[in-house]
Amino acid sequence: MTRSTQDVGGQDRNLGRYSDPPLLVLTSLADGPKHGHAMIEDIVHMSGTRLGPGTLYGAIARLEREKLIEPLPAVERRQPYRLTAKGLLVLRAKLATLHGFTRAGLRKLEAR
Amino acid sequence: MNARLASQLVGLYPQKWRTRYGEEFQTFLETYPSHVQTILNVIGGALYERVLSLGRLTMDRRQSSLALMLYAYLSAVAGSINFYWSVADTPLGAAMHSHPWLFTSWNLVRGGSLLAAVAVAMVGSPVSVTILRTALSNRRWDVLYRLAVPPFAALVILAWMAAAASANTGHWVPTPWDVTGDWTAPQNWPPLANRWTLSSVTFVLMIAGLVVSAISVRQAIRRSDLSRHRRLWFTVPSTLLAGSVAVMTFGVLTWGWLVQRYAASEFHLRNGGLFTSTNVSSWALSSLVFLVATVVAIQGSRTALASEPS
Repeated sequence: MTRSTQDVGGQDRNLGRYSDPPLLVLTSLADGPKHGHAMIEDIVHMSGTRLGPGTLYGAIARLEREKLIEPLPAVERRQPYRLTAKGLLVLRAKLATLHGFTRAGLRKLEAR
Repeated sequence: MNARLASQLVGLYPQKWRTRYGEEFQTFLETYPSHVQTILNVIGGALYERVLSLGRLTMDRRQSSLALMLYAYLSAVAGSINFYWSVADTPLGAAMHSHPWLFTSWNLVRGGSLLAAVAVAMVGSPVSVTILRTALSNRRWDVLYRLAVPPFAALVILAWMAAAASANTGHWVPTPWDVTGDWTAPQNWPPLANRWTLSSVTFVLMIAGLVVSAISVRQAIRRSDLSRHRRLWFTVPSTLLAGSVAVMTFGVLTWGWLVQRYAASEFHLRNGGLFTSTNVSSWALSSLVFLVATVVAIQGSRTALASEPS
């Protein structure tokens, strides 16, 4: 999914930008529950991508539908979310796949 | 972003999505600046959710069967209206009185339409009562609004035709079958350009009325629980409807074949066809619509037969 994200870096940063909103949200929640704004800032810090509000909530809705995240009680009108056990498993599997893929890709580049 | 703009943007999302996320998403949006990019992002998100929600609008077999019966019946009604008006008050109508087989094929269409109405009443009456009762007890105004669309559409079309006819001193009713052709219009009819315009409006209203009615009733069906109705209430009417629409189709096709034999010259005149088309073109259009209605009705019957017993 590559829609509706806003690059916060320069052109070089844009080249390496990673944009898969559901995976970015899952990864952002890997170290604990977060509300929308905290997720956005964390994702900017991790990937250089600033998700728009529509994109963020699109990803949240999809992940909740797939039971990968769940809402916690609201705190000061802010709605935090956390990973479910299934979400944790899926995130591990996705990151492991990406990790293997990244290593294989970098090896190919180094072999040039 | 101010609360009003945030609320308007949230309003773009599907209702089900709003029920779950509307409040928190609005609170979240209110903390955002009103940048064009943000607004576009939210609009894009709303469109995306709307497209996704279309894919999730699944119906069970009874609901699907009912929706297919509705489409088949409305198609048959459209085909019948075109067929009837292409023949009524034309030399073809007179030819039927001198050729019994021609009259028999016409009566097949009439008989089929009566049976189709019975089939629709058989399934429609109990289901309508269930849908209405459930909607009223659960205060589902969205369902009631949708059920009100077909009678409202019919009223609008009739009111338009009556208003246009009275504006023309009642001598001419704006239908797409009485515009012009191989005949001389009576003196007291409005000018040709007016007849074209007014008839086109009637035609557009009729097509829009049929399409909007079909969509609205389908949505009402989808929002209603029909699982308590016995399977028999769907299998018998849907089979009867498929049979009756097939009989009507056979009648229309046979009628065209016989007219070609007995009154070919009148059949190829522009005398009662849709807008200025020949009677044979108008008949061909009706035949096509009836064939489609038959296929859809058969599919509706098959879907009802494949539904699980209650």
